[in-house]
Amino acid sequence: MNPVSMDVFTAAERRLAWTSERQAVLARNIANVDTPGFQAMDARDFRQALAGSTGVQPARTMVNHLAGTIDPGLANRPSRQIAARTADKNEVRMEDQLMKVADTETIHSTVTAIYKKYMTMFGIALGKSA
Amino acid sequence: MAADLTTSLHVSASGMDVQSSRIRIIAENLANQNTTGPNPGAEAYRRRTISFQNRMDRALGVETVRVRKVDRDKSEQPLRHEPGNPAANKDGYVKTPNVNSFIELMDMRDAEHAYSANLNVASTTRSMLNRTIDLLK
Repeated sequence: MNPVSMDVFTAAERRLAWTSERQAVLARNIANVDTPGFQAMDARDFRQALAGSTGVQPARTMVNHLAGTIDPGLANRPSRQIAARTADKNEVRMEDQLMKVADTETIHSTVTAIYKKYMTMFGIALGKSA
Repeated sequence: MAADLTTSLHVSASGMDVQSSRIRIIAENLANQNTTGPNPGAEAYRRRTISFQNRMDRALGVETVRVRKVDRDKSEQPLRHEPGNPAANKDGYVKTPNVNSFIELMDMRDAEHAYSANLNVASTTRSMLNRTIDLLK
């Protein structure tokens, strides 16, 4: 979808979906901070997510075919950071992850604020007291 | 979308769960750091170790973390000369637990940090959920 022609609600919805997906990925990283051999992941760039480059799913030509078990939206990539390697081969850097969590929350609150403001504008246009 | 946020809550909860098991094991180790065997020549308390593993939670469709194994530290138990102790062998040596309180304390700090990080994520997720719900107002 062309970002210019996209209305605020759609854009906000996409962005909110992206933040919650990213939050799930980061929560997983932090929960596994002591799991040996665990590799940290990050959600895709929002620009990529917006461009609609979702993961590939096999076509189902018959109703009996099973659907894929992996949600194409959750095509997360491992974030490579060799410097973070420790003896147990765990690649989660706590500071990094917490910064990302804070960042995601900021984006989320910004988007919800924009959404609310937009709704208020609709209210004004409809003659309601905001 | 909201499902993602509730999943993150579950994942953070699993993280806190394993860290609290870890704290429990550390407490056991520290409590037993002077526990010797019951009869002459018997083994003293062996330090317990804990390791974690990520696991696919089929119901949630997400990977959570859980305790993989609680094991015993197989390192040698130091001997102490104490002939009066009921656990002393015929030469008067007592096997003492292979618990190092400094290691346990460091481990405890680490577990505490990991726990609070998980808690932070959970509270952030909660505030995000609340803000999303607030959009209805």
